[in-house]
Amino acid sequence: MSDVVEKTLTALPGLLSLDSQPGSTKLSSSSKLGNLIRGITELTSKHEEEKLIQLELTSIKEQVSSPNTSMRQMKELMVRAIYCEMLGYESSFSYIHAIKLAQQGTALEKRVGYLAVSLFLNESHELLLLLVNTVLKDLQSTNLIEVCMALTVVSQMFPKDMIPAILPLVEEKLNHPKEIIRRKAVLALYKFYLIAPNQVQHIHNKFRKALCDKDPGVMTASLHIYLQLIEENPEGYKDLTTSFVTILKQVVGGKLPMDFNYHSVPAPWLQIQLLRILCLLGKNDQSTSEIMYEVLDESLRRAEINHNITYAILFECVKCIYTIHPKSELLEKAAKCIGNFVLSPKINLKYLGLKALTYVVQQDPKLALQHQMTIIECLDHPDLIIKRETLELLFRITNAQNVTVIVDKMLEFLRVNKDDYTTIDLVGKVAELAEKYPLM
Amino acid sequence: MIKFVLMVNRQGQTRLSRYFQPVELSRRAALEADVVRCCLSRKKDQCSFVEYKDYKLVYRQYAALYIVVGVTDSENELSVYELVHNFVEVLDKYFSRIMFNLDRVHIILDEMIQNGHVVETNRSRVLAPLTALDKMVD
Repeated sequence: MSDVVEKTLTALPGLLSLDSQPGSTKLSSSSKLGNLIRGITELTSKHEEEKLIQLELTSIKEQVSSPNTSMRQMKELMVRAIYCEMLGYESSFSYIHAIKLAQQGTALEKRVGYLAVSLFLNESHELLLLLVNTVLKDLQSTNLIEVCMALTVVSQMFPKDMIPAILPLVEEKLNHPKEIIRRKAVLALYKFYLIAPNQVQHIHNKFRKALCDKDPGVMTASLHIYLQLIEENPEGYKDLTTSFVTILKQVVGGKLPMDFNYHSVPAPWLQIQLLRILCLLGKNDQSTSEIMYEVLDESLRRAEINHNITYAILFECVKCIYTIHPKSELLEKAAKCIGNFVLSPKINLKYLGLKALTYVVQQDPKLALQHQMTIIECLDHPDLIIKRETLELLFRITNAQNVTVIVDKMLEFLRVNKDDYTTIDLVGKVAELAEKYPLM
Repeated sequence: MIKFVLMVNRQGQTRLSRYFQPVELSRRAALEADVVRCCLSRKKDQCSFVEYKDYKLVYRQYAALYIVVGVTDSENELSVYELVHNFVEVLDKYFSRIMFNLDRVHIILDEMIQNGHVVETNRSRVLAPLTALDKMVD
């Protein structure tokens, strides 16, 4: 394990004490939840667990119905109910109290109320309607923390039919001076788009404004909506290509504040998101692709640091280069990159390399040929996942000469494989090949 | 997209579960037990990405705890693998001063992943709302 992970491990007292030191005193002794978790941890049978949880649920039920229970106590009760449900034991009697907690609690109590609601209920639950008034009230609160909470829960679940009631309030927040409010408002709109796209058609220009927001967090939030919109209709957003390219350039060039870095890599997940968007825009479109070549080249160059997250970005970059209109210099560099992955002793990278090869092999069969020795080695790899990925790759490069060998390997794999889904998939492939090459 | 995030120990006891696609309560325990069984059978030098049913699992082990993320095929596995680590680093930063709290871990997760997508990875921004809440209580 690397040094960083080791350090992180030793600094996670709470989480680990539950599992590495039985009877640890890290959890507060007055915490009922702590006692419950400890109790469950020490049990060995499902039957005993059931008994203990049923006792717990009875106790919770009694207390939530009592008029003497304070909001503070209610918060603790809700967390215990969350825990019981997490183990698979329904506690539907607590749902209404979660909503009450969100309504009547303050600060952390309110937040836990909202949390409980988001964990207990689902989009179509009838009780969710009761939450709407609380959310509306909190959205108009002078306390920004309450506004944030309301926006967060709205982004997670909201009854579709009530969107018109809340939409103007959320839209208004797009202009808020605080970036966190603007960012959360954008995410709420993203949720609305996911569940009722026709309700947010009229505010496309506001998304654009969010994309150009001076705060990188707000801009990032808008990318979720854009990725969705562009997936559905790339043609409609080609004019934004230059904007996305410029943003990626700035990110890759280190123009974001330091706290957006992850292990010295600037906003890696943002880079990945942008690369995905560019991929969609440049596909089958030479002129749009040409706008991106420079920044793709830059991304390839910058990703020199030996860290997993850099490799993740490289993978996305390579995928993009192979999807958009081809440019030979970039393809060459991307091929080299894939080669490095496939040859890497690090198994996760090998997997990524094989995955990349599978993706590009139709466009560049020579690349697979170049690495055929490694591919053959991977066929006999002890890790079934690598084997499986290799078979996937081979399936793509089957021809009349190698089909017998490949099918043989697939059948061999089927003999040791225990997973139903993989079996079904491979059998399908074998059947397909048998049809395609009937004389084998 | 991300289907679920689980924290499970080697005995198969769930420490945290978050589902971004609805899974019936009664089916969760079995799913979680199966998932952890799948991860436990993997050796140290094997891939951290496993094909599971019609999607994938990305798992990462931290001492006695497994963090497992279920993802659809379109996801970049390595980026999710690092997302897990980012999450652990955020927890580390926050819980170094405060005792473990199930609700707080969820609140942190809320800030990072919504609707199965990564929405915030900047550590200070993830923790800002929670730190503000803590101040309100004080």
